Amino acid sequence: MQYRLDLVLQPAEGALLRVIGMAERRGFAPRAITGAPVATDDGRWHLQLVVDSQRPPETLCRQMEKIYDCVSVQMTALEGASA
Amino acid sequence: MNSPTHRSAPPNGARWLTQALEAEGVRTLFGYPGGTIMPFYDALVDSSLKHILVRHEQGAALAANGFARASGQVGVCVATSGPGASNLVTGIADAMLDSVPMVCITGQVATPLLGTDAFQELDVFGLTMPIVKHSWLVRSVDDLPRVVADAFRIAREGRPGPVLIDLPKDVQLADASHLPAHVPAHVEPPPAPADAAIAEAIAALAAAEKPVVYAGGGIALGDAVQDLREFVEASAIPTVMTLRGLGALPPQHPQSLGMLGMHGTRAANMAVQESDLLLVLGARFDDRATGKLAEFAPFARVVHIDADAYEISKLRSADVAVPGNVGHAIRALRAAFPSPKAHQDAWRKRCAQHRDRFAARYDAPGQHIYAPALLKRLSELAPADTVVACDVGQHQMWVAQHCRFTHPRNHLTSGALGTMGFGLPAAMGAQFACPERTVVLVSGDGSFMMNVQELATIARCRLPVKIILLDNSSLGMVRQWQELFFAERYSEIDLSDNPDFVALAKVFGIAATRIDARDDVEGGLAALLAEPGPALLHVAIDARANVWPLVPPNTANSTMLESNPAHARQEIPNAIPA
Repeated sequence: MQYRLDLVLQPAEGALLRVIGMAERRGFAPRAITGAPVATDDGRWHLQLVVDSQRPPETLCRQMEKIYDCVSVQMTALEGASA
Repeated sequence: MNSPTHRSAPPNGARWLTQALEAEGVRTLFGYPGGTIMPFYDALVDSSLKHILVRHEQGAALAANGFARASGQVGVCVATSGPGASNLVTGIADAMLDSVPMVCITGQVATPLLGTDAFQELDVFGLTMPIVKHSWLVRSVDDLPRVVADAFRIAREGRPGPVLIDLPKDVQLADASHLPAHVPAHVEPPPAPADAAIAEAIAALAAAEKPVVYAGGGIALGDAVQDLREFVEASAIPTVMTLRGLGALPPQHPQSLGMLGMHGTRAANMAVQESDLLLVLGARFDDRATGKLAEFAPFARVVHIDADAYEISKLRSADVAVPGNVGHAIRALRAAFPSPKAHQDAWRKRCAQHRDRFAARYDAPGQHIYAPALLKRLSELAPADTVVACDVGQHQMWVAQHCRFTHPRNHLTSGALGTMGFGLPAAMGAQFACPERTVVLVSGDGSFMMNVQELATIARCRLPVKIILLDNSSLGMVRQWQELFFAERYSEIDLSDNPDFVALAKVFGIAATRIDARDDVEGGLAALLAEPGPALLHVAIDARANVWPLVPPNTANSTMLESNPAHARQEIPNAIPA
């Protein structure tokens, strides 16, 4: 099952590594990633991360929320997507 | 020679940091100097901080870890870049997995050299990312006030854990005269759970006929020990504890069924397996506690209360999820259950009968010293508030089963990471945190050798740590698993070429005695505890001794072995009776 995570990250060193590492370590394989710092949002990263896993996605969202550089995370199940 | 941080020199980043640590209330820190952390060590000369020079950076991290576990305060350790930093890693990971608040400070090569493979350059920021709550590579001295304030706040708040500050040498040397003095951040307790969730929990508990409290490490972390005791006293609900929850109820408490899980008591595992409602308080369904998860507590609804919302429904789906402050939730439950529920009386009686029927026995046959009996006797002879640290292996489980803990913080055990070598430095850290109390290390001959160098630190500081070394001349837990689950094909578990531990301790200047007969136990323990300084009691035990009960891996907790089924099929039933 694939999910899209819409993440807003502080422009802090290591923030990208933290969220991608967290996804992989918790059993969610990255399938696509796009994003960039947004000047109008104080340079915060707006990141879309598509992941694939059989695990419940809520657990990953709650882990992402524990990352101090993660300002917000929203998860969307991608209809019709397959592993 | 004028040093860069001499009293008359303008304060630099390193001086600012030592002053910040003082302002934060840090009194003791553990570390080992080296090239890139030298400005910090120079600033220490003019500081009131008490730095404990260990003999290996892993000892520093685990001593800070033990200090924090015993005291509830933030432990602080320091190392240089490269191998100094990487040697901290095991101690940091141990703190992360057991929710221990630590601030770890590492030197780093100067910022212009970052990314050039400079001498002793190591990306410890990247290396530790999965094992810290948060971390910083401080590239400007101007960031230090924010970073240090955040570091101590994050280490303590919510579910505690370790943080790392990687500090390049030029940042330590940079002018910090313009920086404001450090002000410790206020740490808010976890928010109270939602009223609706608590009401749901109360309703579920009231309706249950066979409720069990399943208390974990989150009880002590949430300062909720007294709250739990009052709740269990009032409601009289049978209670099981995890390895890190031990001590949450006092020894011999009528509702305590002891530890659940792989080496838990039969009474605890039976209660959980038969229960119709598990009230999970600050615990996380660790696999060593649950056994085969799909068959864990098969009849129970689950009310899960935890400060870390992530833990709820991670492994076992909660019927009632109560994220938030554990102490607050328990106090609300206490108010709702001022007395035992009559419809739970039969269940209470059944649990009590099982506790009495399956109580540990200490009349083991044979002439060898029986470690469980020795540890039980230790708890009887030592003061009630004794801190017992242990390492990892068979002796760790015997400590959990047979020592009596009056508070979870008196039991220092590497629960989640299972770090062999944890015990000696952790005991050292605990003795610094609690100088007036008795601190005992119970170790095994495998674990003890992993950080044996810290005997030098103990001797130098004249720390009165009492060491009980249970020596079976083998890696006992591995040997036990090979005996039971690998057809007795013993592989690399022989430690019969151990050094003479009495002579070894004496070389470090530590008093030591060996005992190998049951009649020597009483005198050996008494002499050890009476020794004013550090001392070691070397205890020879039977290499064939195993830890019982045992739930085989990937098996339901209802399947508890009491002996090797291949050797003694008829001795004791290996399944819980219906």
